[in-house]
Amino acid sequence: MRGGALPPALLCAAVGLALAFAPRRAWMPSLVTLTVTTAVLAALPIPTEWLEGVFLGCWASVAATAVTVHLPRGMTPSGAAGLSFNAGLWSGAEIALAGSRLDIVKAVACVLLLIPAAFVANRRAPIIVKVVASWLVAVAILAAALPFLPVTPGYLPDHMD
Amino acid sequence: MSRRPHVRVLIAASAVVAVFIGSSVEAHMGTGLAGGFGSGFRHPLTGGDHLLAMVSVGLWGAFLGQPLIFVLPVIFPAVMVAGAVMGMLGVTLPPVEIGIALSVIVLGGCIALSLKAPTWVASLIVATFAIFHGYAHGKELPSAADPIGYSLGFVLATGSLHALGIGIGFLNHRPRGVHVTRGLGALITGTGIWFLYKALVL
Repeated sequence: MRGGALPPALLCAAVGLALAFAPRRAWMPSLVTLTVTTAVLAALPIPTEWLEGVFLGCWASVAATAVTVHLPRGMTPSGAAGLSFNAGLWSGAEIALAGSRLDIVKAVACVLLLIPAAFVANRRAPIIVKVVASWLVAVAILAAALPFLPVTPGYLPDHMD
Repeated sequence: MSRRPHVRVLIAASAVVAVFIGSSVEAHMGTGLAGGFGSGFRHPLTGGDHLLAMVSVGLWGAFLGQPLIFVLPVIFPAVMVAGAVMGMLGVTLPPVEIGIALSVIVLGGCIALSLKAPTWVASLIVATFAIFHGYAHGKELPSAADPIGYSLGFVLATGSLHALGIGIGFLNHRPRGVHVTRGLGALITGTGIWFLYKALVL
């Protein structure tokens, strides 16, 4: 199981963390861009052969988006809009191929992580948001690598046995 | 405000209790995984070796102060993923259980000695041990279940244990708090020696 709402939800969560470092005037255009792009892409007939590429793009976007919290000068409004558009593309495509319409709501709702993240970042504790972003990067890299690796089947003994 | 020290002591006490009720190396025992987020989240919490090492990363970071208090918890998951990928690829490493036991000993020792290592040394130590912890988890990632949920669970649990360690580190700001945290470090090292003994002999 790797489809459904989880990959786009994590991508939207990464956008939320990134927007916490953007000016407030960039928030609403970015949220609208993300929502509209996701909804439009989710309604398009995406070829099923693109599934692996879409998953890879989605996870790469999670990592790239989460890493932007480390930008020394924060996020510009145009950068925020670009990230949101990119996130909408991959989220919508993933939902079109491996999700349901309800997943659009579940995924886009995760961008509201922006609110607590901005609250924390504005109270001289942006590093906490950066730590959380590093967790997203870790999960994204692992998830992106999984299809290329021979994973140990769950029924086999692990290294202690 | 007057209750805050009590809360911190309670957190520290809870961590100690958690350490002792968690069976040793249980995080890395068993055959196979049910899969999913819950399984991944429980995995680091149910074994003493991983749990102690993760709490130690946060606690040592608290001793080291800025920027390492937050840099170490950023470095750890990033390098742990590299270790997990090595585990899934089947790359040969020195015995992982020994590496994990050593991580508990060394990190506990750094706390007990209140070692103020330079940034690059502390980062290198934590990154090295992160490979062993990630390797162990990578070997166990289930293919038939929900590996992404599992990954998310164990990364979040690992981060939560770092945060717990940082929280315990606030004891350092209390009178005689440093003695308590250094004592915890010594206790962690002692437990790590037991893990090492088990890995080598039992």
